This record gives sequence, C-alpha cells and structure tokens, in this order.
Amino acid sequence: MKRDWRASLRYYWNVKVLGNAYLRWQRWKMERKGPPRKWRTDILAPPLKIGARTKELISRHYLEGRYANGHKPVAWVTSGAPVEILQALGYYVLYPENHGALCGARKVSVEIASEAENAGYSRDICSYARTDIGAMLSGKTPVGKLPKPDLLFACTNICQTVLFWYRVLAEHFKVPLIVIDTPFVYTSPEEHSIEYVKKQLENAVPIAEEVAGKKLDYKKLKQVMRYSRMAADLWLQVMERGKNRPAPISVFDQFIHMAPIVEMRGKPETVDFYAAMLKEVDERIEKGIGAVRNEQRRLLWDNLPIWYKLRELSEYLAERGVAVVASTYTMAWGELAPLIDPEKPFESMARTYIQPILNVGTGKKLEKMKKMIEEFQLDGAILHSDRSCKPYSIGQVDQRNRLIRDYGVPALLLEADHNDPRAYAEEQARARLDAFIEMLY
Amino acid sequence: MLDVPGRKSVCNEFKEGGGRVAAVMPIHYPRELIRAFGVLPIEVWGPPGMDISYSAAHLQPYVCSMVHNMLAFLKTGGLDCADYIIVPHACDSLQGLGSLLVDFVKPPHPVFPLYMPRGKRPEDVEFFASEFRKLYDWLSSLTGKKPSKDQLMESILREEKADETLARFYDFRTEMSLSVRDFYRVLRTRQYLPAEEFVSFVERVMDEYAGDPPDGVPVIMSGIVPEPMDVLDEIQNLGGLVVDDDFACCGRRVYPAGKSDDPFIRMAERILYGPPDVTRGDLIEERFEHLMEKVKKSGAAGIIFYTVKFCEPELFDLPDMRRRLKEAGIPSVHVEVDINDPLSHQTITRIGAFLEVLV
Repeated sequence: MKRDWRASLRYYWNVKVLGNAYLRWQRWKMERKGPPRKWRTDILAPPLKIGARTKELISRHYLEGRYANGHKPVAWVTSGAPVEILQALGYYVLYPENHGALCGARKVSVEIASEAENAGYSRDICSYARTDIGAMLSGKTPVGKLPKPDLLFACTNICQTVLFWYRVLAEHFKVPLIVIDTPFVYTSPEEHSIEYVKKQLENAVPIAEEVAGKKLDYKKLKQVMRYSRMAADLWLQVMERGKNRPAPISVFDQFIHMAPIVEMRGKPETVDFYAAMLKEVDERIEKGIGAVRNEQRRLLWDNLPIWYKLRELSEYLAERGVAVVASTYTMAWGELAPLIDPEKPFESMARTYIQPILNVGTGKKLEKMKKMIEEFQLDGAILHSDRSCKPYSIGQVDQRNRLIRDYGVPALLLEADHNDPRAYAEEQARARLDAFIEMLY
Repeated sequence: MLDVPGRKSVCNEFKEGGGRVAAVMPIHYPRELIRAFGVLPIEVWGPPGMDISYSAAHLQPYVCSMVHNMLAFLKTGGLDCADYIIVPHACDSLQGLGSLLVDFVKPPHPVFPLYMPRGKRPEDVEFFASEFRKLYDWLSSLTGKKPSKDQLMESILREEKADETLARFYDFRTEMSLSVRDFYRVLRTRQYLPAEEFVSFVERVMDEYAGDPPDGVPVIMSGIVPEPMDVLDEIQNLGGLVVDDDFACCGRRVYPAGKSDDPFIRMAERILYGPPDVTRGDLIEERFEHLMEKVKKSGAAGIIFYTVKFCEPELFDLPDMRRRLKEAGIPSVHVEVDINDPLSHQTITRIGAFLEVLV
C-alpha cells in the first residue's frame, strides 16, 4: 500500500483532532444526561450507561474507516477471522457483516440490498452479503462512506457463504483475497485440521505484509493476542452475569454491545470498554436491577439476532415477564477465550478459530444449548430459523425436538431472517410467540 | 432410446459379486480409494421427484431440493442397498446434511463426512491427502482390508483411465449421432459404473454411434445437475443443441491424471487441479476463462445457467459471470429449477426465446 501524505493529513485532522473531540463531547453529553430512552423503561431496565461509550467506539471506528484509504492499509474481513495478524500489521479492519447488521438495525438493509438484487443477486443468498454487495455497488451506507479494501480476508469458520461472497468482492475490487479454510468439526477438532489452519495462517503473513508494506512484528502480535484474550474473557464474564436472577442484562443488550468484541478485537480500548461494562453490570447485580423489570421466565436465544426487530421483540417478551438471558451466538465471541495463547500465536489461533459454534456439528451445538439451559437456569429456548444462515439453522429442527423430548425444555422455532424484514411475517411470528409463552407458564 | 445400465441394477450386480457399495453424496471424492477396498461408490444426486415431507422433518424449506431429496431418498429406503454413506463437503447445506446424519438421523449405515479444502495451495493438497488417509483407516476398519501402495496406485490408474475416456467421450460428441439426452445418460454412468465397465461401455457407444451429430443452435449449460433431464430434450426440440457443459456432476469432474508417486497426494491433486468449480473456491475469473475456452472449442453461441433454487454457490457467481460473458459478446440466460418440479412451460418458453435470440 502506498501511503499518501495528504490522506494522512486528512486522517489526522478529521479523525484524531476533530472527530475525537466531537465524539468525546457527545459521549460526555450522553453520560451526563444518560443514554436516550428509546425502549420502554416501564418494563425494561434503563439502557446501560456504557451505551455512550459503545456509540463513541463504533462511530470512531467508522469515522476512521472513512479516512483510512491512503493512510493505512484496509482489510475487509469476515466476523470470525483471525484478525490479530492484521491488527498487528496496522490494518484498518472493516467487517462487512457488522456493517450489514448496522444497516439492519437502522432499517435500511432492504434499500441497500435491493441495489444488489437489481444487479442480479438472488434474494436466496445471505442478506448480509446482499447488503454488503449493495453498499459496494451503490456507495449507500448509513455510516457516511466505507473505505475500499487493499486486502480481503475470509475465514470459512462461520460459513461457506463468505467464500463465495468474498470472491465477488475480489472480482469487484481486484485486490488479493486470503482464504483461511477451517475444516468443519463434525465431532471434535482433529490435529491434521489444526495443522492445516496453522499453515494457512503462517502462509497468509507474507501476503498481508506485502499489501501493508511492512514486516510483522511478532512482539506486537503477541500483545494484540493478549488484548484479544483479555477482551474475550471480559465479554465472557459479562455474559455469564446473566446467570443471576434477575439477569442484569438481556441478550438484546448483548447484541447491541457486542460490536467491539467482533470488530475491535486485539485493541486496548476494547479491553477497557468491556472492563467498564462488567463493572456496570456488577453494579446492577448489587442493586438487584434486572434487564426485564418483572422477570418471570428466562430463555435461551439461538442463532443470529433479527436485527430489525430487536426493540419490538425485547419489549414484547418483557411485557410478558420473559427475559432472554443467554445466547449461543453472543457466546461464540467469549467461550473460546481460554484457548488464546499469546505465547503460541499461530497454533492457538488455529485451535481457537476452528471451533466457533458455527463450525461445529449439530450434536455439539445441542450439547452446548443444553449446558447453557442448565447453567443459566432457563425455562425454554427460541431458535431463530434464519433463512439467510444455513450453517447455523440446519439442525435446529432436531435440536428443538430433542430439547422438548429429551430434556423437557419448551422450544420454539421462529422463522425469520437476520437482515431482511421481507422474510419476517409479523402476525405469524406473534401468534407463534403467544402460543409458546403460554406454554412457559 | 439407448439402453443404459441403471444404478440399482449395477448396485445389485456388484453386491452379488461379493462387493460392497458406498452411497456417495455430491460432489468431489476419491473414487479410486473407495474402489481399492472392493467398495463401489454410487453417487446420489437427488434423485429428482422425491416426496420431501420425509426430509422436512429435519430440514427447513429454504434448503435446496438436492439436499432435501438425498435425505428423503435415504429415509424412504432408497439407500438400503448401500453398506456405507460418504458425505463430501461442498456447501453449507451438504455440511448440514453430513452433520445431521452423524448426530440425529443416524441411519443404519456407517457415515463418513469428508472435508474438501477450498484452494489448491500445497497445504490444501496435503490436508486433502490427510483426509483420504482418514478415509482409508475408516474403510479399513469396516472391510478388514488394507490395500498396499501398489494396490492403491493400480486403483488410481484405473480411474485415471476412466477419466481419460470420459474426456475423449466429450471430445467425440461432435462425431456421434447420439441425442443429447442419451449422451448425458451415458456420461452419467460414470457416477455409478465401476471404472473398467465405464471404459468398455463408453468405447462401445463411441463405436456404435459414430456418425453425424444432431443439428441445432449450439449452447453450453452450466450449473449443478441437468435435472429434470427432460430439459435436454426440450432444448433439442426447440432447435438448440447442448454442445458442452459446466455441470458439477459432469464437466467439472473430468479430472486430470495426478503426478505424485504418493497415492494419497496423487488423489488429492487430481481433484484439486480439476476444472474450476465454485464449491472448491476457484475464482470467478478462472471459471469465466474456463467457460470461454469451452465456447471457443465448441463454437457455442450462448450459455444457459441452469441452477437449483437456493444453491448459494452458483447464485453468487451469476451476475459477474454473465456480465463478463456479455462483455465478451456471449449471450446467456439464467433458469432456476426445483428438481422435484416437472419442467415448467415458463422455463421452456424462456429457453425457447433465448435460442431464438441466438439464431
């Protein structure tokens, strides 16, 4: 990547000087007044104060992206990718899936995905991919502007879709594509698979170095991994606080505050952020504040969030005394923290990144759900059957049946799509939820 | 219509001769390794026209009909003649099917999920070879056999000869009077005939049917599988002629001979260095160049992309492939089917209109 001093100047002025000052002021204002109460606080706890910092972090991340081209190398990566190598090389890292989720939460995903559909992309492909490709083709985004990538970095540990999706990006941007292929773990991870992932990671380094125009500093890589582990561990602790009755945070809070662990792993500010979040959650526990004011029943959420229905679902369930306190999805970014070993960076990255929940067998996932139901003392489970995410969804029919039949846990299969509201039938979903909630009482 | 041996009769005959049978799901796997154990791989591409209420007990409706049908076929006794099931990894849906079989469906057959690496780097070849060593151990534990290196090489050479015959059969199509449907019926016996029988069958067909090929507007078809096969007749009835293909079950599996002396590496090379395939992660550019070579060689006037609904791997490539083809002056059309539905009139009209444009 060739560095352009004018781009660097623009970056420092707009991000480091103006942007930082403005975002700090905004955060200070929000902390003083408290975050805006857009959700019903008669049935839900007031929003977490940490929300002011979440907003600052995410806004700064996208602001940096806006001015990154020419100043630092830019990589577009998949959400489960071993990003530590890129962080240590000083890349600005953009996660198209997170951007897609943001578009979904801001309810602009249909408009942007339509740009891809008009260009010939079928509505049967993943709605994140359609949103991303739509943003790429049209430049439409709620964050101002997305930087162009110098490198594409796809890891198949979340799905094979990313392989096809990133080939489209490679075709469009004409930049190198690194694929880290993580063999699916049908039963338990095998040594030859781990060795394969490790070799790919090692071989990715020279390509990433060439694009970045600098050599990887292994001391820095270890430091990045330490930050990654610390942040993942704190995130895990935050989620585990959901075991308290009443649960201090719900999965809807987790969905809102998970962005830093996904897109800012390996950074010290992410560690600080989750330390502060843990502190606030502990304060809630001390004061006996529950995320749902009248917590009567506790549920598990399986699969991705329905981004465009977060508030509606949260309020609908809270109105009925239902708190969704644990999620297999958010847990994925915390549960593997103990496997991260900064002293063995490549081996431990291989071991960690080969076995997130999306890359393990359907039976393993059922075991995980059962364990969470026991540990969090849950009364039932909602399995979001996500039209756009086949690897997460295939197996759910049997998982639901087993939860009911073998463990006596009420479970609901809720048909939707994580980012495309056109695949969500409001009335049908409500009818199913109503019937399910009746079973819980 | 040409008399072509069917899957069931081949399966029964092989078993009567003392052999065993493995039902193998799509797409890429080492036939030679399985045969070295005296086991005949018989591929399961659907089949079309199944009652998916059997698979719907496990799979959501947004999973493709290919995968639904494989499961429905298993649950309705279609795989009863098989001793084993092998599920290669090709996409998220086949990954899910493999996992479901292992964890929940649990058929009476032992199941082996085989992971295919996405790339053709040295580490991909080495990993694939390791997967094959694992498959070797699995088959060994089931059959009690331990084929030597020489026996493995013998099996590899037999399959390489069959693939070389397959490639010659493709080249010879312009010198045969076979209908397109019969050509594909013969070609698809590679999915279940023992390699040596395939070679003699194809040689015989090439001898018996040497002559002028049928006439028609030349087109290439691309997709996963030409099902329902009526589409081939319809294209011919509409004045078209399928002169080559880029189907996952056919043209994308004309594997080259391997080079290595290590049988496991050689088997991996054969698959990974085969014609470009989206499920193996080959770039859109490579697929486009491969298609253009086919266009030049066959003189095709256009391309029909014939995909199965919900097949993400194929759907992602389409806009860029079609754009590139358009820039190269090659018209194309996209037709989407569910392999349980009969060929719709709408599809036929669409293909007819496309062929008219090509004249």
